[in-house]
Amino acid sequence: MSSRLRVIYRQLVGSSRQALVFVLCVSLSLTTLTAFSGFARSVRQSLLADARTLHAADIILGSGSPFNPHLQGAVAREAAAGRIESTRIHTFFSVVRTVDADASLLARLKVVEPAYPFYGEVVLLSGRTLAGVLTQGSIVVEQLLLDRLGLAVGDLLQVGFTTLRIVDVVTAEPDRPVNMFAFGPRVFVSHQDLDALGLIEKGSRIRYRLLIKVTDPQELAPLAAHFKTFADPERERVDTYRTARSGVRRFLDNFIFFLKLVGIFILVLAGMGIQSTLGALLREKRQTIAVMKTLGATSRYVQRYFMKLTALMGGIGILLGVAVGLGLQWLLYRLLADFLPPSLHFQWAPSGVLEGIAVGVVVLILFTLLPLHQLRYLRPVMIFRRDQPVHQKRWPAWLSAAALLLFFFGLTAWHMADAEVGLYLVAGVGGVILISASFSQLSLWVLKRLTVRRLAVRQAVRGLFRPGNATRPVMITLTTSLAVIFAIFLIEANLDATFVRSFPADAPNLFFVDIQPDQRDGFARLVDQAVTFYPVIRARVTAVNDEAIDRERQQRTRGDSLARTMNLTYRETLLDTERLISGERLYRSDWQEPQVSVLDEVLEMHPMKVGDRLRFRIQGVPLTARISSIRTRVGENLSPFFYFVFPTDVLGNAPQTVFTALRVPPDAVADLQTRLVTAYPNVSVIDLSTTLRVLARLMQRLSNILRSFTALSIVAGVLILTSAIWATRAQRMTEAVYYKVLGARRRFVLQVFTMENLLIAAMSGILALLMAHLCAGVVCHLVFDIRYQAFALASGGLVLGNALLVVTTGLLASWAILKKKPVTYLREQTDG
Amino acid sequence: MTLLRAQDLTKTYTVDHQIIKVLDGVSLTVATGEFVVITGSSGSGKTTLLTLLSGLDHPTAGEIWIDGREISSASEDALAPLRNRTIGFVFQSFHLVPAMTALENIMFPAELLKRRDAEERARALLATVGLSARADNLPSQLSGGEKQRVALCRAMINQPKLLFADEPTGNLDSKNGQLVLDQLLAMKAAHAVTLVLVTHNPEIAAAADRVVTLSDGRLRHQAAD
Repeated sequence: MSSRLRVIYRQLVGSSRQALVFVLCVSLSLTTLTAFSGFARSVRQSLLADARTLHAADIILGSGSPFNPHLQGAVAREAAAGRIESTRIHTFFSVVRTVDADASLLARLKVVEPAYPFYGEVVLLSGRTLAGVLTQGSIVVEQLLLDRLGLAVGDLLQVGFTTLRIVDVVTAEPDRPVNMFAFGPRVFVSHQDLDALGLIEKGSRIRYRLLIKVTDPQELAPLAAHFKTFADPERERVDTYRTARSGVRRFLDNFIFFLKLVGIFILVLAGMGIQSTLGALLREKRQTIAVMKTLGATSRYVQRYFMKLTALMGGIGILLGVAVGLGLQWLLYRLLADFLPPSLHFQWAPSGVLEGIAVGVVVLILFTLLPLHQLRYLRPVMIFRRDQPVHQKRWPAWLSAAALLLFFFGLTAWHMADAEVGLYLVAGVGGVILISASFSQLSLWVLKRLTVRRLAVRQAVRGLFRPGNATRPVMITLTTSLAVIFAIFLIEANLDATFVRSFPADAPNLFFVDIQPDQRDGFARLVDQAVTFYPVIRARVTAVNDEAIDRERQQRTRGDSLARTMNLTYRETLLDTERLISGERLYRSDWQEPQVSVLDEVLEMHPMKVGDRLRFRIQGVPLTARISSIRTRVGENLSPFFYFVFPTDVLGNAPQTVFTALRVPPDAVADLQTRLVTAYPNVSVIDLSTTLRVLARLMQRLSNILRSFTALSIVAGVLILTSAIWATRAQRMTEAVYYKVLGARRRFVLQVFTMENLLIAAMSGILALLMAHLCAGVVCHLVFDIRYQAFALASGGLVLGNALLVVTTGLLASWAILKKKPVTYLREQTDG
Repeated sequence: MTLLRAQDLTKTYTVDHQIIKVLDGVSLTVATGEFVVITGSSGSGKTTLLTLLSGLDHPTAGEIWIDGREISSASEDALAPLRNRTIGFVFQSFHLVPAMTALENIMFPAELLKRRDAEERARALLATVGLSARADNLPSQLSGGEKQRVALCRAMINQPKLLFADEPTGNLDSKNGQLVLDQLLAMKAAHAVTLVLVTHNPEIAAAADRVVTLSDGRLRHQAAD
């Protein structure tokens, strides 16, 4: 080791505690983003590598209605020419039941031909092939179905209007949606039984797919393009295994989006930690710097010297961050294992590691630039006057803030692949930090001027203004991170309380879909209660004011979109749960052309107003209607609602099914479901309360993962606090010793230090809670449209928990100071 | 020949909106090779005067000339070479860099000048103060007297024309204090260096060519030896 390196190493050892905190801050800034980014990359790579298997085909044609004859003809011609093989798949939900009508269950049916799947394998418990066992009259089911209905392989099952024999149990299928989306066990049915099921009626919710295997891989793109020319862009999709977004990918894309938001948020807070800790470390080195300058070292020399020190610590931090990031990436695989296809395994991408290192270097430079620059303002006279104020220019701080803002905007826009989101995030996090900073400044200003009688509290307040105490950065970091964590908690608690725990007593809990119009009377008699039937006509919106819907753009949005198939209905009156927010009546009597009333939620997908014209395509038939009114839903309710409502004379004769929702006592659900599907096998019953419970469990699991990672941001606050306590160790030690010399007991010193940390915790916790309530209230009101509950007890618990954490951290970091005997300290001081 | 000249030096500080005048119109001239002691009661402004004369701090008003160069308004970085080549410092609290060994501390000013013989010179100086065996020890492993002798070597490594010492024996017992003083005076004599020393110690003052007394920030008395 060279002499200079040795000296730098000794400098590190001399400030080992601050150096450790610095290294931890650097590694924390990278860890989560490296983990999430690496996870996203390897998932994407794996999904792409296994894409053929995940879609079970080269080209996938999909539609919500039977394919148009031209497209079917094109596929048939290519198959006849030997360029492709094709196979049909129908998927839909249906309630299946035991033959003695004892029990029933909503299942996910998949009707397949023997050629399915072209890639991958449907794994059966018996070890046989699907094509080998799935013959006419037989079905293959998931174990869950057997367990729930008390059946075994060999038993019969009523599916739709026919009875089929269970011949095997399926354990894996290549193109199956991930577990979390599966509301019901899988049932494989042979294509030869499709007609016998009797479940395909006009308007039924069936997903049609044509899987295509290309003979010559080179022909993949040209063939896909060829089929696209025959497809109806309004309702038929043509994808290759490379372009198709599977359910897994959609879910992961969305989840990773939120994970990356958390990662960037942690990076910002840990970055503040880097700046604050380096500041504290350099404060510790002020004497050394003053000596160096006294002996003739220029500012540039001193800056370069400490830059090397910073680079060494930063390098260790970056390597540690990347290594821990890889560990977290592995943990993510474990935590999300249920939601990932079985073929997906943890793999680390070297490019991800390089990206992590690159981001780490930029973060290190940007966050250390200011403290290193400020070294030039340290004057050699500090050798005599250690606490002399340092007069700094303001422009470097502003320049540094601007560079950081630009970096975060760029980083967010890059990771989210969306400049708008980047702007919102930077503005959001910047706003929270700004509010936290202003409040911290204000509360400290008030505290400084407060007259406190109690000695311990007075000393604690004075302690907050101890030079180098970093009270403000600690408060800002804690407040910002707590605000986000509290907000996630409160939003989740409100959703849970509204929809799950207190499922409204009068809200319908059973939804019945795909009732045929001629089954209404019989259905009403069977359920034996007043029923409101809602006609459902499936259609697509194709244009607003003659401007075609940009489907690609609509599909990219995270919320609902106009790109999907919509459910239209017709009626003449407003529901009790609705009111008009634009237009005087549901329909205008002075317009002769077709009219439509639109729910206000549609306006979030595309701007529109009363008088605008919407073009629909209803099972191939175009319809243009003028918006007569805009409706909104009143209060929080789980009643059925429709985005588009038409007058009866416009849609009354369109192909339709009927939908209704009923309130049924939970213990009567199973019996009613079984009786109903025995009489009407085509009707699907969805138990909303069960579905919501399942969804809530999943949501809780995912939000627990998010929350756990977000909690890492608190670590930044804890690290800054620890660093600040260590940085002011000498002053604290002097205070503690003087208290003791003047007759105070250790208990008094403990009280002062505890109170000091308690003040920081209370101020940051309370502001964070206020901001979290504001944010959660806005989200619940505007996004979920539910009544907001404050959860006073839980809120108090959050603030208390934070106080406990901060006080404990503070006391642990001050332990050595508390233990120090006055005589030892005074002797050390005299020895100089 | 004048090596150091200070004219009407004033230094004020602002504390809680109150202006405190620490030095008030001090003028002083030091000739080449001279040994000047600045003395005065605690709080009289001795150390402040030393920081101004040595260019460690800027005066609020007045001028300072060192070796023919006006330094009172020079920038920090412009003063760095002057502190490195022309001036040496010895402090009461030693101010050795804790992360550097005795040898590295002494070499540091020479290394800033990129002198190839830095180590050779440092070892030679260590030998003259009898600390060759302590070359690789860190300051924390040295006694107070040893630290001050290392600090003395460090001050002399670039053969400065002017040596400033602030209570160099203040933190030492009488035996070590005497040893350091002897070596300081020996080095002054050997290198013909001009010495400006702040002290309370009348014995040291007695050895000076001239004693300057400060009282309430003003020069009260200049006594020639």
